[in-house]
Amino acid sequence: MAVRLFHRMAARSAPAVFVCIGPRMQALVEGLFARAQSRRMESPAGAAILLVAGDIPRRAAVALDRIHDQIPPPRETVHWDGCDDPMTELLAAWARLMAGESGEPDRLPDDPPNPWKGHGDHGQGGEGMMGGVPYGRPMAMTGEDPRDGLKLDAYTMRVGPFAPMLPPGLVLELTLQGDLIASARVTEAPFPQPEDANAPRACAARLLRLLGLGPQADRLLRGTAPRSLNAVRALPVGLGAAGTGGDARTRLRGWLEGKPAEGPPPDIPRLLEGREWHEAVVLLNSWPPDTIRQAAEAAR
Amino acid sequence: MTPLVLALPVALLAGAWLGAWLDRLVPVLWGRPAQGPFGPLRDGAALLARPTATTEAPDRLTRWLAPGTYLALAAVGLSVIPMAPGLAPLDSSVGIVVWGACEALTVIAVFLHGWSPNAPFPLIGAYRYVAIGLPVMLPSMFVLIAAALPAESLSLVQVVEAQREVWNVLRQPMGLPLFLLVGLTLTLRGPFDFADGADIAGGTSGQESGPGRALWQLARLTMLTAFSAMAATAFLGGPLGPGLPGPAWLALKTAAVMAVTVGLGHTVARTTPSQMLHPLWVGALPLSFLHLALAGWVAL
Repeated sequence: MAVRLFHRMAARSAPAVFVCIGPRMQALVEGLFARAQSRRMESPAGAAILLVAGDIPRRAAVALDRIHDQIPPPRETVHWDGCDDPMTELLAAWARLMAGESGEPDRLPDDPPNPWKGHGDHGQGGEGMMGGVPYGRPMAMTGEDPRDGLKLDAYTMRVGPFAPMLPPGLVLELTLQGDLIASARVTEAPFPQPEDANAPRACAARLLRLLGLGPQADRLLRGTAPRSLNAVRALPVGLGAAGTGGDARTRLRGWLEGKPAEGPPPDIPRLLEGREWHEAVVLLNSWPPDTIRQAAEAAR
Repeated sequence: MTPLVLALPVALLAGAWLGAWLDRLVPVLWGRPAQGPFGPLRDGAALLARPTATTEAPDRLTRWLAPGTYLALAAVGLSVIPMAPGLAPLDSSVGIVVWGACEALTVIAVFLHGWSPNAPFPLIGAYRYVAIGLPVMLPSMFVLIAAALPAESLSLVQVVEAQREVWNVLRQPMGLPLFLLVGLTLTLRGPFDFADGADIAGGTSGQESGPGRALWQLARLTMLTAFSAMAATAFLGGPLGPGLPGPAWLALKTAAVMAVTVGLGHTVARTTPSQMLHPLWVGALPLSFLHLALAGWVAL
């Protein structure tokens, strides 16, 4: 009785979805979650359903499989081509999962990328005290810090192509020192998106969400102006200044007034190097996705 | 210790439920459909129905220690607050110091939470929270000492007694606004949610699912309860009031502070961490010195 009530309550909660956005689908997905009663989770770990929007290009297939496997089982995948409303399918999948059905198995082998057993006197896997790649995992090494002279450990990671805070398809290889980007390389450009993803409203909503104003971003996507005390002023003056196009703040103000952003595409590696992560993400979202795609194509 | 200690879990759970409901009600202002009082329970059931996600080589001890500590700090913090005039679950002669310790240790709990999954974004959230948490906790101490000055005691029972004539919110007008900054930080909300923000894909909570995520959310909400009760006690006369019994007044005032805190969390945009540090060290800290000096002058 109690167990049945528990499952019934769980099933009436909004589906927890992680979205992998393919070409031409960005604005449709953003609109879907602004209207629908389902939650777009920020990471695969928090989700139960994988929504694959559009045809994912071959180059991102492995990343898609990896995300699928990062969703804790039981999990289900829903495909959406943008034509009809996927909510019915999402709700049905959610109901099945909450009723305790088993869901999909892993797509990739669940082995560590390198075995946790290596050579060396104590099986430590690496050589010496610092650096190297013990157990096939690169050790952090201290590097010059471009910010305040502290020599922090630097580590390299790849972000994308489905990172929710970046344009879909963009893959960056970053060397980070703490939250500071020491060097950046574009390995893949964002997927092409039609004009609707570059509309002022869509661009402003993305920035608002990053500033912690999710419900207001949804309101904007549904067509009404947001009410925030300081949305524009939250962006530091001069951040992402680009000649005639002004800085990120000017662009957000323009978007909120319905004006498209102007100005040339930025040089992405130069834009990101020396930036703190939050600033870097705000910067990449302070240009329309199409401008970032041109910039990424040029930098690749 | 009084039998009132048995009321603590009830108060914490009721407060957590109210906080979670307010979190779902406030977005109604931006056109989201309203959720009934069972909304939080449904979402909680959905979380508990999911498995706990694992990362590669996590720190298993701190994974549970972090939410456990957070929850315990909220419970200890609430325990020194008088629920009726002259009657606290734990009548400490240094209640304000006990609460101050709970505040400071929250930074440790959040850091451990970001440390445990062994992943970059949670760790960035953890470090960033420490950087913001320190300059926020310092003004908090001055604000609370100021609240103790009219009572000439660090006991919260005495702090309440000293507000029989006039509440501290009138005697020390800067106190409550400054303390609200502390509340937003302690509960990882809106402009001060540098630990679990959208730019780092959910940050310290990004790798969590299932019961682990549920426990962390519960701990955040119990801390919101303890903070709101503390603000109501230090500035709004706690259980003092005509007609109704003391606990009812405390509950009403706590709910009011909670609503304001949740509302601010949804309305104020989060700026970049580096831009936030400046007003905290250069604005809030000197302001809290000035506040303490003025409160001392008035008390003399």
